[in-house]
Amino acid sequence: MEMDDDRMQVDDGIDEISPMTLGHYYQHLFPHALYYKWLNYNGKLATTEFTHREFSFTIKDGIYLRYQSFKDSEEFQRELSRLSPSKIDIGAIFTAPPKHAKSLQPGVFKPVSKELVFDIDMTDYDEIRTCCQGGDICAKCWRFMTVAMHVVDRALREDFGFTKIMWAYSGRRGVHCWVCDERARKLDDAGRKAVAGYLSLIRGGAEQGKKVNLTQRSAQHPHIVRSLEIVEEYFEDVLLVDQEILLTRDRWTKVLNALPDEELRKTMDAQWSKRPDRSSVDKWSELIDAVDKRAAKKGSKFGLGTFERDLMLQMTYPRLDENVTTHVNHLLKSPFCIHPKTGRVCTPIAADQFDSFDPFTVPTLAQLLREVNETSSQSGSAAKSTSMAPYIGVFEDFVSTVLPTPVNSQPSLDF
Amino acid sequence: MFNQRVVKREGHQGDQAVVPEVVRRSRYPCRLTMYGDAPDVEVSIEEFETFALDRLQVLRAIEDAQLRAKGEDDMRKRISEALEKHMPSHTNRSKLLPRQLVGERRKDHVSHFILRLAFSRTEELRGWFLRYECALLKHRFQNADLAEKQELLSSAQLRLAHLSPADRDAKLGSASGFYAAQEQLFEVDFERVLDLVGRSQVVLRAGRAFVPQSEVAALLIHEFRHSLTQALAVCAKALPQMGEDERLLPLLQNLSNQTARSEYQSTGAAGAVTAESVPGLSDSFPLCMQHLHSQLARDRHLRHGGRMQLGLFLKGIGLGLQDALVFWRRAFSAMTDDQFQKGYAYNIRHNYGMEGKRADYTPYSCHRVIMSNPPGPGDHHGCPFRHFSAERLRAALHKDSLPDAEVREVADLAQAGHYQVACTRHLELRLHHRRQQTQQQPDADIRLSAVTSPNQYFDLCLGCTKPTHASATDTTTAAAILSGAPKSTTAIY
Repeated sequence: MEMDDDRMQVDDGIDEISPMTLGHYYQHLFPHALYYKWLNYNGKLATTEFTHREFSFTIKDGIYLRYQSFKDSEEFQRELSRLSPSKIDIGAIFTAPPKHAKSLQPGVFKPVSKELVFDIDMTDYDEIRTCCQGGDICAKCWRFMTVAMHVVDRALREDFGFTKIMWAYSGRRGVHCWVCDERARKLDDAGRKAVAGYLSLIRGGAEQGKKVNLTQRSAQHPHIVRSLEIVEEYFEDVLLVDQEILLTRDRWTKVLNALPDEELRKTMDAQWSKRPDRSSVDKWSELIDAVDKRAAKKGSKFGLGTFERDLMLQMTYPRLDENVTTHVNHLLKSPFCIHPKTGRVCTPIAADQFDSFDPFTVPTLAQLLREVNETSSQSGSAAKSTSMAPYIGVFEDFVSTVLPTPVNSQPSLDF
Repeated sequence: MFNQRVVKREGHQGDQAVVPEVVRRSRYPCRLTMYGDAPDVEVSIEEFETFALDRLQVLRAIEDAQLRAKGEDDMRKRISEALEKHMPSHTNRSKLLPRQLVGERRKDHVSHFILRLAFSRTEELRGWFLRYECALLKHRFQNADLAEKQELLSSAQLRLAHLSPADRDAKLGSASGFYAAQEQLFEVDFERVLDLVGRSQVVLRAGRAFVPQSEVAALLIHEFRHSLTQALAVCAKALPQMGEDERLLPLLQNLSNQTARSEYQSTGAAGAVTAESVPGLSDSFPLCMQHLHSQLARDRHLRHGGRMQLGLFLKGIGLGLQDALVFWRRAFSAMTDDQFQKGYAYNIRHNYGMEGKRADYTPYSCHRVIMSNPPGPGDHHGCPFRHFSAERLRAALHKDSLPDAEVREVADLAQAGHYQVACTRHLELRLHHRRQQTQQQPDADIRLSAVTSPNQYFDLCLGCTKPTHASATDTTTAAAILSGAPKSTTAIY
């Protein structure tokens, strides 16, 4: 095989996300061996965990292929290279290979298990963040994801006892969480709904002013207590300094709308309107002082006494898409695929990287292909000599916790 | 074959010892049961029918109570009354003859199993039966005496290990303060108390839930629900074999048809609905759909929950698939054709049964809109009477130019948790004003049956020139529900 096979030239469209560039990625950079070991939950022979697993591919101009399944890693790699999908989703493990779903009696083909998953999307924070909206993110609002990962990860580990947890960057504006403990995979819809319910705090659609309403008792729940501690660590920096959540009248009106006291709301509005340019840090401390004074006067009026706590939570606590978690057969974007809009790889995030992870340094497809060109190494270790290397390392560590025996750690043709 | 022994009562003294003994040795020593074993008795065909119908009355009364009851005490009262009337059961310490006691329990036991058969046919029926049998057991357990509770708990074999105070401190540390100091705690795998977990009512540590004594009922119900679900699935498979006895199948069919579970069928009052006619019809939409429709116009987009709720509603009023595609395409005016085709068209076709498993999805009932899938940030679906804050709701109600007093009336109903009644009242008031404006019978008050589905609201509103005047004795009117009128008297407003 010629050396040039691995290398793509600029005029080959190396900067585009095309079936060709994707094909190259899947062939030389995608960590097939580790990926297979993970989903197979076993090192060698294919088990039903892999063969009965549903994958879905998005190919060409948005054609969506569901119920894809493969009998082993080789077949998976072949199909991946052949189809070069722009998106890969992982679904549930069924009672039969999903490929054969249509030929079975209705009622026979059912989902059996799947990882417990969470999806945290930055657009759910659009009503809070002032720096970006929609598909855009920046270093400032990314910190909402950091808080979310801390809160959810601790709850999953300490309260539920899960240990095989992998967080992944979605490639654009959010994070996903994959809980791979067997106990988690076996949960039915009711179980998943319960976990999602336990972790959810922000309740209320767009028309609800105050979305966190804790009773005295529920505020004492250890998960809330712990989450509040985490939230308090980040609140000032993220919401007041970075987001400047009280800087303009538009912004402070949203916050004041959560006040249960009409009079206080008007007072603060008037006060700030007189001198609007002060920092959010200053305005916040004025607000809290005023709330405390008011609460003391009226006796501890429920709502005012807990306002500070509830509002900090409302603005900072993780916003989960419960639908993604609740249904066993829900499909979720696979780690290590390329995000079609940004070209970034959906890379894993290690548990000690929540604060340091920077989505803007995640390699893009174009970048990786260039890097492959520049190195003169053999195709086997292409990925490890590119910017993908640290992320592969994180994945390797994770997969070793999921398997009964350690992954072969020889310098590797084997990932 | 069940062997009855009749014992003559000889006087009051010494009876207390005799009655329990006889009962204890009978088939039914305990009043409460989890219906683990199928009855091994003979029943006459008359008993078969009567037993089943009586139990059905009880389950329907529970369904009714959940809709109308004002608080837990009221709920308990309603269910107790229904039980007393149709399926009484007394404790071992009551003054009933053993024959009577055992008779009551036999009826309870047999009727449960007959209904199991009758309700195993479809998933919807199974869900209905499961929900109200669980509610019944919960009610009976909560109102049982300590001895009966103990009996049931031990027979249920819940495998509960309780926590010593030392263990409690060691395992929970400061979290122990979440529970009352003197409350007994049990440690179980969290999967056994999912309801409590989902509502953050229990502390979790490493996958174990710490269940207080007061919530042991939850554990019990959970186990019961689990085993009954499995039993119903087994029943469903066995049902075809019942064809052998021709007397039974028609009875079973009749039983399952008696529940009020059938979805609302649209009357097609709007005629042919096109994409263009939707805005004009929106005046007759219920508040939830008006809100979604206006948000759609404002944002030129709706999230999934909103698309489903509004989309299926429109299907229900008569918007066909082609018109739906046009409607949504125009509504999403900010996106390209390509984006629409790839992201949204498939789902619209799916809703009309043209894709995938070809299920023809039905529009949501009020129950579903209120209870399932609560709106999160950025969502506009749900029921405004439930999901709007009090102020936002008042603001929305003011848009109809209703006088303050009326707005307050409706808002208060919503605050009190009577969401559907509030919505119905809102409709009544709107129609009344509309009538006044068109000078048609301006003085007649409008009384409507409580709205149970947005499509029903639409049909009622659209047909307002000839409203469905509920009769004075119709106990399903909003007024009757509010006043808590029992079924036989005139509804007073």
